[in-house]
Amino acid sequence: MSKTGLVRFGARLAAAAAVVLAVSGVAEAATKVRVAFGDIASTESLNLLIAFERAKERGVEVEGTFFKSEDLAAQAVVGGQADIGIGTPYALLQKVKAPIRLFYQISNLRFYPVVNTEFYKDWKDLDGQEFAVHSRGSGTEAIMNLMAQRNGIKFSNFSYVPGSEVRAGALLQGNVKATIVDSAGKRLIEEKGGGKFTFLDMAGVNATDEALYANTNFLEKNAEAVNILVEELLKTTREINKDPKVVVKLREQYKLLPDLPKDLESEVEPYFTDAVSADLYPNDGGGAEAVKADFEFYTLAGQLQGDAGSLKAEDFWVFEPLEKARKALGS
Amino acid sequence: MSVQTNSQIAGGVDAAREGAATTATSGESILLWRLASIVLFCLAWEIAGRIPINVAFPPFSEVVMAFGRIVADGTLPAAFLDTLQPLVIGVFLATAVGIVMGVGMGLREELEWAGVPVFVVMQAAPMAALIPLITFIYGIGLTAKVLSVIILALPVIALNGYKAVRNVSPSLRAMCRSFLGSRRQEIFKVILPDASPMIFAGLRLGISAGFVGVILAELLITPTGIGDLITYHRSIANYSEMYAAIATIILFAAITVGLLERIEIALFRPEKKEHA
Repeated sequence: MSKTGLVRFGARLAAAAAVVLAVSGVAEAATKVRVAFGDIASTESLNLLIAFERAKERGVEVEGTFFKSEDLAAQAVVGGQADIGIGTPYALLQKVKAPIRLFYQISNLRFYPVVNTEFYKDWKDLDGQEFAVHSRGSGTEAIMNLMAQRNGIKFSNFSYVPGSEVRAGALLQGNVKATIVDSAGKRLIEEKGGGKFTFLDMAGVNATDEALYANTNFLEKNAEAVNILVEELLKTTREINKDPKVVVKLREQYKLLPDLPKDLESEVEPYFTDAVSADLYPNDGGGAEAVKADFEFYTLAGQLQGDAGSLKAEDFWVFEPLEKARKALGS
Repeated sequence: MSVQTNSQIAGGVDAAREGAATTATSGESILLWRLASIVLFCLAWEIAGRIPINVAFPPFSEVVMAFGRIVADGTLPAAFLDTLQPLVIGVFLATAVGIVMGVGMGLREELEWAGVPVFVVMQAAPMAALIPLITFIYGIGLTAKVLSVIILALPVIALNGYKAVRNVSPSLRAMCRSFLGSRRQEIFKVILPDASPMIFAGLRLGISAGFVGVILAELLITPTGIGDLITYHRSIANYSEMYAAIATIILFAAITVGLLERIEIALFRPEKKEHA
């Protein structure tokens, strides 16, 4: 390319960049709800993605941004770069008094403690042993602290292995002897474990895994959009709870996650069937009872400080959008 | 020419200091200016935290208190021990390999052709992007962390070693040859002594790159040590503790590198002693 050609090419490139910038600027100007996810979009977020598509049909443009962790998503909401976040930012609300409130419970914490039967058979065998959880201060660590307390045992220490699928793999390969996994990890262990592993009973642990939250300012100013969003979420959740297979159909209908590989595609239906049978998605989108359970759990987890009984739901949640949606849909 | 390259690579900071030294009248007033700059920084931090510019940005005084708490409960010293392990192993290996490779490349053209482009690419590339690749091959243990220290520290150590040897004064080498010195004597009695200040400067830069490597590894691979303190306190919204951990590791790195600079000046650069 000659020198003048190069200059011309550069000029065109600059012009193209200017056009792209201008167009994106116009798009920004349209009213839309920016949702900050704490993880990449995967099979597990299909229920949300479907509800967001339906909200779109009713005029609420939802734009998702996928962050590396829930903390970053929360920072985006606090900093005003996102309107709605996904996660359980109880600590952020309590400690720094961030002006945000939770308003919809997406899912319950559902995890499965699993042990290698060559070494352990039940809870008592785990006394004084090492146990692998997600990270320090995580929900999985809190669950295991709670279970240790209930079973009158004490772990020698926790090892931290982030990612349920990583822990499931480590268990299958024999790198860890006891760990806790999510439902996808559970299915993997059941399929490939050859009966070498057993899941320990864990009744009665209830807490929110993921919830929607937003700035109080945003919730007030965009009440209509929030109501539509909550209504569609509740409707979709109830539909999935009634028939998990509907996710496959709706995914095709809305062309969601078009790049999902074939082997993961076949996982969609079993994942949601398992999730529904484990009561992962609350039919009512949360409420006073769920918040109370959260206070107990997250106090134990170290995310919330003080006596769980003295915490007030209204300092953390707003229930109006949920109540309106329940009224509209019938509870 | 050789002097110019020397100062370009290793002496950026020194040059700035020299400038400051010439404008100031005595050593005492330099110290005063430095202290004033630190106080000003802390003050700006305190004000920014009190406005606050972000709910997650605590004022300086709270961070100092949080620092006291994490020192008292032993988590910070324990975290430092955890972080230093891959750092020390990594820097040690990078130094050994880097100096040998660097000097080798400076002395032999074959090695130069084979090695220099690789190190130049490594130095220019955003190596943080490679850390996920390391975990695919070496897992999430100590090896992966040591490796991430090495890939950040090695290029700068090796390239400085290479340039140090290349920049040895040709008249010194000619002198050695005219005195009928052997190749061995030329290397050990002329080249290495003349190159050592710059090799040492490379070491200093390599160690500061190693700090970057170890913290990146602790944030991107598995949270341990200081990286764990940062992620843990962020996850439970203890921002004062988080900033205390961040500030401490920055301070520690700065002091370590500063001390190395002093050693460098004391050992190899007597002409700069009076300004330091």
